[in-house]
Amino acid sequence: MESQRCKGARDLLAEDMERFRQVEDAFRNSCIDWGYREIKTPTLEYIHLFTAAGTLTPAMLSRVYSFLDWDGWGGERVVLRPDGTIPAARLYSENLSGSKIARLYYVTNVFAFEETGRENREKWQCGVELLGDGNPTSEAEIIGLALEVLDTLGLSKASLKLSHAGVLKALIAELKLNSEEKADLLDEILEGNWQALSKVNGNKKIAGAVSTLMNLKGRSSSFLTNLAAMPGLSRSIVRELEAFAGVTGLLDTLGYKYEIDFTSIKGFEYYTGLCFKMRAGNAKVCSGGRYDNLVGLVGGGNVPACGFALYLDELAAQVRPWSRQKAEKTVIVRVDGAGPAAVKDAFKLSAALRSAGLIAELDFRGSQLDARWEISIQEKKPGYTVKDKIKNMQKKAADANEVVNIIGGFGKVG
Amino acid sequence: MAQDIRLALPKGVMLSRTAEFLNGIGLGFEDYTSKTRIYRLRSQTMPSLCAKMLNERDIPVQVAIGNYDFGICTSDWLQELQARYPAGNVVKVCDLEYDTAGIFLACSRDAAFTEDKLRDSDATVRIVTQYPALAESAAYKMRLRKFRIFPLWGSAEAYLPENADLAVISAADERALAALNLRVVRKIAESSACIIAHREGLQTSDFSRILALFSAGFTVSSKSRVKTSAPADVIANDYTPAAAAGNIWLALADGHQQVHTASFLEKAGIRMQGYSKDDMRRRPASSLDGVNIKVIRPQDMPQQVANGNFDLAVTGKDWLLDHLYQFPSSPVMELADLGFGRVRVVAVVGEDVPADSIEGIRELIQRGKLTPLRIASEYVNIADKYLRDRHIARYRVIPTWGATEVYLPEDADMLIENTETGQTLARHRLKIIDTLFESTACLIGNRQSLDDPAKRAKIEKLVKIFRRTAG
Repeated sequence: MESQRCKGARDLLAEDMERFRQVEDAFRNSCIDWGYREIKTPTLEYIHLFTAAGTLTPAMLSRVYSFLDWDGWGGERVVLRPDGTIPAARLYSENLSGSKIARLYYVTNVFAFEETGRENREKWQCGVELLGDGNPTSEAEIIGLALEVLDTLGLSKASLKLSHAGVLKALIAELKLNSEEKADLLDEILEGNWQALSKVNGNKKIAGAVSTLMNLKGRSSSFLTNLAAMPGLSRSIVRELEAFAGVTGLLDTLGYKYEIDFTSIKGFEYYTGLCFKMRAGNAKVCSGGRYDNLVGLVGGGNVPACGFALYLDELAAQVRPWSRQKAEKTVIVRVDGAGPAAVKDAFKLSAALRSAGLIAELDFRGSQLDARWEISIQEKKPGYTVKDKIKNMQKKAADANEVVNIIGGFGKVG
Repeated sequence: MAQDIRLALPKGVMLSRTAEFLNGIGLGFEDYTSKTRIYRLRSQTMPSLCAKMLNERDIPVQVAIGNYDFGICTSDWLQELQARYPAGNVVKVCDLEYDTAGIFLACSRDAAFTEDKLRDSDATVRIVTQYPALAESAAYKMRLRKFRIFPLWGSAEAYLPENADLAVISAADERALAALNLRVVRKIAESSACIIAHREGLQTSDFSRILALFSAGFTVSSKSRVKTSAPADVIANDYTPAAAAGNIWLALADGHQQVHTASFLEKAGIRMQGYSKDDMRRRPASSLDGVNIKVIRPQDMPQQVANGNFDLAVTGKDWLLDHLYQFPSSPVMELADLGFGRVRVVAVVGEDVPADSIEGIRELIQRGKLTPLRIASEYVNIADKYLRDRHIARYRVIPTWGATEVYLPEDADMLIENTETGQTLARHRLKIIDTLFESTACLIGNRQSLDDPAKRAKIEKLVKIFRRTAG
């Protein structure tokens, strides 16, 4: 049968949702523990929020889902949110700009066109934004939080790569390009083509610095200190390298392992300082960084900020589903007769089981199978037969309390 | 028998030079002339080559969806399609060196816009254009912070400077733009006639013979056939920087509706200067006090009245309805039925389709025929609403830019089209299965303008004159 589902769209089945919720719960629990508060922004935003200079690259903008709303005769286009951070920055500037520091988190879908239709055009992100703090401790905090979530999900071997948008932008500024050339070059780099940087006819000192940055990878803040001491670098590049070293120094102190790879920056134009990404298995599962100008660009004041997004779809693919664990706690309440008394009895027993921390699933057709426990209700006394399908045992019970006791007695429950 | 090779050929301004090119490479079509009433042609020299004449703007879309293997059009429309659908199924085979032009981002002669000023501006930039996708990608590339694009059927130059800041517009060169009182801010693209092909067709079928002929023609055209496009009829675009403030704005039609509108105004006793075939201006003068007049496309009027650029406009009910179906809460309303330009908007199918009503079509679809139903129409929103309201399960609206009757039966299953007498439809062996509504010219206005005490009296006076004249 030909699928009626939209190209590039996906159904999440029960097992997918169990994985999905597992990631979401791990993320939410950590965020709450670290003092973050949940927000939600609307799916529709005005497109100018994303065209404000320095937010999304032209390549990303050319893949947004935008359209004229039913009252769009004024030409104002709306867009299905292509990114989580920019709406969060808007929310902050419109509602929270009076607060000193805001720690926010959200779970949201983002939309971007993908040509083949084989990849998802709707993706899910777990996002964190720490607004109002320009201190490098805030980058260390969000990296620590992201690593904790990955650890909870059993992905403790995730790798962390660091780059720095401030260094990149200072380097481009040294090339003395006009604003159009500068914008084109940044586009190329953010699309992953670092070679474009080496092709620009700049002075030789810069060419040397470009080559060093592109080819060397570092594993401690000493690498950045060494780079900053290299001959021929302008004061502004050195200043950015020192800022970068300020963050990596903290990460060294906290014992977080990382690799410095300047070419790992990709996609977002709004980053101003540290950029990072994490990989687990073969997938990129997290990216984030500092974006001190973003709140100003969307209409707020001068507010330093940093944040990250965990890629929920990629993470969900890597966690073990809960179904098996749940089957242990599930009790099938089987009713042979469908008379009102039997139905009432089944509802009452199920409520008692749920109060006892079990999952009670009603079965009036004898078709449910996937559970450890099965209780049959008969009209004759003692009324209940409790089966443990794992231990292959069976007991009789007279009332709901006795049923709960038997299940508790068979094994560990709840 | 080998399968036919299908070629889409342009009507209109490109026709004579394209015919010359085809004759030059030995692929001439006897009936490919501007006077022909035959839209389906077959090559005398290559009998497997058949062609159809389409509006050139529609050709890239038709080639992309696979209705044609090849097409000839100007590359601006190809680039517009590719900007909107980068993954589209159409490729350029080669440029032909005629009908060359540039696509420019332009501002009014006196405006102080530069790329840097635009980039740094926080103000909303209004861009009018026939090329909305190219305009959007230029705006992204220039990193404009806030912009609004108004897609137009044409006459973009008329909007600057009063109703828009920038236009993305095709012109032979900067001089041609200067003649329209425009100045280049940025050149976006080059355009010329070109041959395009359906991508999958090129990947799977043997087209070597026709491609060899095209290649030979390409060599010829590179050497000796360099020609630029003939200057189109330019309508004078003079403006007075401070047009009488406090006046209301009235939009009048250019194109086919101009003659009818002009005679209606004459009948109403309104004297016009600069609104006749011999003397056309974008901003004609009139004997009406307190009214500024501008001449634009009737298709664009409802949205331009809705967004407040104009207080009143003389357009067709068909275009008003198409607008209202897209924007149901629009502040545009009909103020007077002017009676002229009467047409019926109808649903049309091929004579051979075994259905005489839309219910019959629905039954055919339920039996697995004509699905998805392909509807070609200039009235995208009217077509969409018509099919939605009649519970047609699966349909695709193919937007066209006119001459829709040629699409049936090969390239579409149904048309939503206007007809005066039905004769053109009958000549193309088409039948009407439903009349959606009757359309006449009407005066439309913006509800909010009527609420404005400074404008109300002027609007009411004009409405009165128009109603009286229409009888």
